[in-house]
Amino acid sequence: MLSLQIWLVQALVVFLTTESMGELVDTCGVISPESPVIRSGSNFTAFCVLKEKCMSIYEVNASHIIWKANRVLIPEEQYTVINTTTSSVTFTNKSLSNVQLICNILAFGQIEMNVYGVKMRVGFPPEKPKNLSCIVNEGKKMMCQWDPGRETHLETNFTLKSEWATEKFPDCKAKPDTPTSCTVAFSPVYFVNVEVWVEAQNALGKVTSNHINFDPIDKVKPNPPHNLSVSNSEELSSILKLTWINPRIMNVIRLKYDIHYKTKDASAWSQIPSEDTATTRTSFTVQDLKPFTEYVFRIRCMKEDGKGFWSDWSEDASGITYEARPSKAPSFWYKITSHTQGSRSVQLIWKPLPPFEANGKILDYEVTLTRWKSRSQNYTVNDTDLTVNLTNDRYIATLAARNLVSKSDASILTIPAFDFQATHPVTDLKAYPKDNMLWVEWTPPSKAVRKYIVEWCVLSDTSPCIPDWQQESSTIRRTYLRGKLVESKCYLITVTPVYGDGPGSPESTKAYLKQAAPSKGPTVRTKKVGKNEAVLEWDQLPVDVQNGFIRNYTIFYKTSNGNETAVNVDPSHTEYTLSSLTSDTLYMVRMTAYTDEGGKDGPEFTFTTPKFAQGEIEAIVVPVCLAFLLTTLLGVLFCFNKRDLIKKHIWPNVPDPSKSHIAQWSPHTPPRHNFNSKDQIYSDGTFTDVSVVEIEANDKKSFPEDLKSLDLFKKEKISTEGHSSGIGGSSCMSSSRPSISSSDENESAQNTSSTVQYSTVVHSGYRHQVPSVQVFSRSESTQPLLDSEERPEDLQLVDNVESGDGILPRQQYFKQNCSQPKTSPDISHFERSNPVSSGNEEDCLRLKQQQISDRISQSCGSEQMKMFQEVSATDAFGSETEGQVERFETVGIEATVDEGMPKSYLPQTVRQGGYMPQ
Amino acid sequence: MPLLLVLHWKYGAGSPLPSVNATCATRHQCHSSVMSQIRNQLAQLNSSANALFILYYTAQGDPFPSNLDKLCAPNVTDFPAFHANGTEKAKLVELYRIIAYLGASLGNITQDQKLLNPNALSLHSKLSATADVMRGVLSNVHCRLCNKYHVAHVDVAYGPDTSGKDVFQKKKLGCQLLGKYKQVIGVVTQSF
Repeated sequence: MLSLQIWLVQALVVFLTTESMGELVDTCGVISPESPVIRSGSNFTAFCVLKEKCMSIYEVNASHIIWKANRVLIPEEQYTVINTTTSSVTFTNKSLSNVQLICNILAFGQIEMNVYGVKMRVGFPPEKPKNLSCIVNEGKKMMCQWDPGRETHLETNFTLKSEWATEKFPDCKAKPDTPTSCTVAFSPVYFVNVEVWVEAQNALGKVTSNHINFDPIDKVKPNPPHNLSVSNSEELSSILKLTWINPRIMNVIRLKYDIHYKTKDASAWSQIPSEDTATTRTSFTVQDLKPFTEYVFRIRCMKEDGKGFWSDWSEDASGITYEARPSKAPSFWYKITSHTQGSRSVQLIWKPLPPFEANGKILDYEVTLTRWKSRSQNYTVNDTDLTVNLTNDRYIATLAARNLVSKSDASILTIPAFDFQATHPVTDLKAYPKDNMLWVEWTPPSKAVRKYIVEWCVLSDTSPCIPDWQQESSTIRRTYLRGKLVESKCYLITVTPVYGDGPGSPESTKAYLKQAAPSKGPTVRTKKVGKNEAVLEWDQLPVDVQNGFIRNYTIFYKTSNGNETAVNVDPSHTEYTLSSLTSDTLYMVRMTAYTDEGGKDGPEFTFTTPKFAQGEIEAIVVPVCLAFLLTTLLGVLFCFNKRDLIKKHIWPNVPDPSKSHIAQWSPHTPPRHNFNSKDQIYSDGTFTDVSVVEIEANDKKSFPEDLKSLDLFKKEKISTEGHSSGIGGSSCMSSSRPSISSSDENESAQNTSSTVQYSTVVHSGYRHQVPSVQVFSRSESTQPLLDSEERPEDLQLVDNVESGDGILPRQQYFKQNCSQPKTSPDISHFERSNPVSSGNEEDCLRLKQQQISDRISQSCGSEQMKMFQEVSATDAFGSETEGQVERFETVGIEATVDEGMPKSYLPQTVRQGGYMPQ
Repeated sequence: MPLLLVLHWKYGAGSPLPSVNATCATRHQCHSSVMSQIRNQLAQLNSSANALFILYYTAQGDPFPSNLDKLCAPNVTDFPAFHANGTEKAKLVELYRIIAYLGASLGNITQDQKLLNPNALSLHSKLSATADVMRGVLSNVHCRLCNKYHVAHVDVAYGPDTSGKDVFQKKKLGCQLLGKYKQVIGVVTQSF
């Protein structure tokens, strides 16, 4: 009872679950067909059928169905509403693509709901498999393969079917990853025909290939023969015997063979003629082989009638043929390594015979040396050279190589006498690379040649030329160098013909096995740089870096912002002149050396062209300087000659009355001050213009007042006598003395030289100009003339002077200093350029006021010197300072000497409008 | 029909051919060289029969190798007769019977040897290969008889059932059969 209840519960649960799942998975409709497979290019129609229940719930019918393909709405033109529950969609010419087709409804007219979806598969039906073939690998199952045809884009099964005439074998289903082949499960049975075909099938159809009917024995690929071995024969050095074990299939079928062989180092195989190996066998003897040569063999087999497949190749087996007599005499040559008086050291050298000529292992070499009419000397040498000392006579050397079987023919070499002169070289010697070999070609000499010796070595700047050599027979006109040659090296090749009486003259040439671009470019530099040209020079590239024949150089040059210019230069040159350059420009230049295979740049070099050519500056400057100097000189000369005119027109002297001074000549006034030291006089240097007017009174009658003055002079003569320094003194004192002295000395005669100091007028130039011509003029000032007024004789004297210009002979009263040292003697100059002299006068007055009490006896001349000194400090004519100082120095000395003289005639400057107390 | 024949004699080997009067049909036409193939097959069997015999008694161990005459004498009862001077058709029919007999026996021997000498793999392989070749001979003979002579049925006989015999008897019967096989196949091969 309990079990019944449990069963009922379980049944109820299952029922409810099933019902609920059915509700859950229940759809509003279905698409027919459910799993469509469509042939590509064909039309297809799908139907969506709605369920009544759904239609009432969502208030829809077939017209509310919309179709989507891969979530893309299908155009309504493809829809067809068949009835209220069914809508169809049609695809035409369906292309190759899988499509997810979904039927949707618009619930309540607007809500899109999925009803049902199917996946459409598009593809092709299988094509008929072609090229079905089978192979039976010996000991394995039969395997067949075929060409499946075009891609179907659908899951396609290939089944290999096989049968005998009496029974059928299990199908062989191709694996998905290898749909083009299949290996049957049963062992092959030979000599029974089997029929085989392939069946291809997918959702769109099934197709069968053509049947093939064959005996599996005709599709056999035998296993290769094994245990292949090679043995030689001592009797015959040209044969090798092969033996092998046939594959087991030989028990069933007859075999034929394919035998290949080659020398050990060869790459290509030779084949034994097939007719010699067309029957079943287990051994074969290969003939016509080279002695003492290692050969490699391999063999394969197949069914004798040619049906089936060749087996794989057996493993290689090798064997060496037996030795034979050396087939050729060794190459033989000699070198004279040293020569002394009466003997030569000769090195006989020879090349080992190559294996194909040695025909065995060379045990030793037999060398004989025969001097003219002497016994032969025999040598047995294991090496490939022999050094012997020979006399200067002619020798005949022979060489033979010996192996286990016999010895070779002898090579004969004539070593000529020491004084032998080689002649008859080869001509037209050429060397060139071809097929990765360096070939040498020549034209034989007219004389009969026994053989040629070709020597070569690598030319290098750093290592010596170590020659290698080879021998060629007399018939050879062209050969290649059989040495280890390297590319980009320059080889010096020498060909020497060998005659019966000795070697001929050697002939040499150079060649490269393969050229390359130079590994280093030439280093260019300037030899000379001009304004518009530059001479470049460079060194020839060392042969080690040339890597080929230098065909040309190319010079590239450019300015910093200009285009590059290239110039090709012959390789024999080592310098080149760049012309048409721009002056004062930086040029960058580099040089490339080219071989046949390319070029290599050298380092870049820069240079700057000068602004001027050599000597150009001198050519400009020197004439200009000379012209300038000449012009200056002419100007100076002109100015000198026309100085008066120039002075007159350019800066004429315009006296400034407001600055005029009246120098008072007061011979009676004792000096008020003394100079304390001579240095004070010179310190300021400049000397203002002071003139002392000396009037020569020739006519005493017409100047009676002068005599009074003369008397006055006479009163002082005693004290001044002996102190005269002559005419030309530069001070008022010194200038007065000679006048006095001379007048005094000539007084007894018609003393016209006696002078009278008249007055001094000091004025400055117009606007600081120095008047060129100063006129000793009479002051027209209305100011009382102090002493002159007190002593009218003095004034009278002045007047007399003025009035007597035309009468009195010219006299130089005071030598003009300053800028006109050569003042015309007929013009008295009194130059005063410093307007601040009034200030100095004030100083002088102040000093006089201070010192008047205790230095009342001192000379006023000293005081005036000091004043001159101060005035001169501001004198504009500094260039004349030194001369003035010298004059002051003289004055100073005399002033010092006259310091003790109480009575001196000193000119005094008086401020205009002022009065200087005496 | 013995169980072993059912299990190991596949594809209808040993089954009686339809009688001459019955419909004789094959899946496809026989190859024109079927007789040559039969000869090659017989030669193949003949070339391997002795090796198989040696391999068998060697694998059985003592006392077989040293007592071949006693233990491996070709004394097989009910072995089909063969008349080498008969017509091709008669020889083919007799050959069919012989090969059917040998094939069934080889199947039993192979089964026994896999139990008695499980490590004698070479023997197993050779027995299977020989049985495969015999299947091919039967197919060719069948095809030839059917296509050319329209013989649809041949009565065949099989050897004794060894399932209930002891090991030694099994080995002895096997050795005797292979000895007989070596003897007969040579004759048959010569006759074709």
